[in-house]
Amino acid sequence: MPEPLVAARPLVRGLVGDKAGAWDLAGELPADLLTDLGARGLLCAQVGTEYGGLGASSLANGEFTAFVGGLCSSLRSVMTSQGMAAWTIQRLGDAGQRAEHLRHLVSGGLAAVAFSEPDAGSDLSAMAATITPDGDDVVVTGRKVWTTAAAYADRIVVFGRYGDGAAAVVVPVSRPGVRVTRVADPLGCRAAGHANVELTDVRVPAGQVLGGTGQSLPLLVTAALAYGRMSVAWGCVGILRSCVEAVGAHARERRQFGTALIEHQLVARHMAELYADERSATLACAHASRCWDEGSPDMVAATVLAKYTGSRHAARGAATAVQVLASAGARDGHAVARAYRDAKLMEIIEGSSEICQLMLSRHALAADYS
Amino acid sequence: MTEQTTAETGVPTPAEIESHLLEFLEARTKSAVSPDLDLFASGLVSSMFAMELVVLLEQRYGVAVVGGDLKLDNFRTVQRITELVLRLRDA
Repeated sequence: MPEPLVAARPLVRGLVGDKAGAWDLAGELPADLLTDLGARGLLCAQVGTEYGGLGASSLANGEFTAFVGGLCSSLRSVMTSQGMAAWTIQRLGDAGQRAEHLRHLVSGGLAAVAFSEPDAGSDLSAMAATITPDGDDVVVTGRKVWTTAAAYADRIVVFGRYGDGAAAVVVPVSRPGVRVTRVADPLGCRAAGHANVELTDVRVPAGQVLGGTGQSLPLLVTAALAYGRMSVAWGCVGILRSCVEAVGAHARERRQFGTALIEHQLVARHMAELYADERSATLACAHASRCWDEGSPDMVAATVLAKYTGSRHAARGAATAVQVLASAGARDGHAVARAYRDAKLMEIIEGSSEICQLMLSRHALAADYS
Repeated sequence: MTEQTTAETGVPTPAEIESHLLEFLEARTKSAVSPDLDLFASGLVSSMFAMELVVLLEQRYGVAVVGGDLKLDNFRTVQRITELVLRLRDA
């Protein structure tokens, strides 16, 4: 792992401290925390050094993402959005756009990526937002929902229709016609700044449209989501690790029927299953990250598998953790109660478990074990 | 294009690119693929698989498929994909 991400751990641990529960209850992360971590390049650590970023590998950034996710899934969600915005700009933008926007994202700027709409969730082909050329500008109109980190972002990467094809455009939130409204009381990752974004005839220079035009929506979305899925998967590893620690500590200390909980075989089985879930999620993530770092075409399917495995195991593991901690963990704000709510959302965002299953079933047809 | 082979130049010829791609696609889809088969209309290739092709081209031929080149039309047939590689390589 590169030195900056190792050195960052005590820093982040210190900044988060014991405050994740309170941030969750308040539904808000401190703005200076995000700009501080952003300016250190930590919110999107894979941005290259040529743009002032840390240039981390997927594996190193993944382990760091799991570390942050173990402390606070809301903060990790903001990292996922920032990293996905950076990846989208890297993948779709031209050299000038990369230089401008990526530098911004490692100097304290914050970005979100807007896909979902009221009538376009899993079926993103139903997307209705439009990006329309008008002279030297484009005009962006549409309604985006549940855009993670949009409440904190100063720029939003908006996906929409462009002529017969599709495009992504970087919209500064300060532009007239942009309205960002927080989603009230999200089930999980409550402080991640989920917001609905209304764009009414928002005019931005045509140079804000990433790359060329006439791109295909499915391919654009698949490209952009790849990073988001990888990041969510590692975030789920973090959730599982926090549950392993919480369950381990409780099961050693708490005594019932005259002995520590861990000596009760049914509790021991919970501990073992939780640990197995964490390990297998970690292995799926590490494999996908290695494919990513090697530029192997297997990264596409491996990333979906990691997201699917990570989120399902996190949801199951967090439920187990609440079961073992029982009344000790059954209050909002407690680490395992947060894990339980946060993990459930991870089975939904960046491609629901069912969408992942559809993709994996197709991929399985090509399996060759010879 | 000259008739030189990879062995002479170290650079895959168009014919070699095409045959690599056909080999990859046939292995992955377990179906016969011809250079002009419409991969999307035939249902053989999804957007996820198209993304795999993007990464494959980048790894194998050292090209970057970014921005405006990320359109499904570039991946519609093996011929089109080969043309894309040649264009990006010469760029």
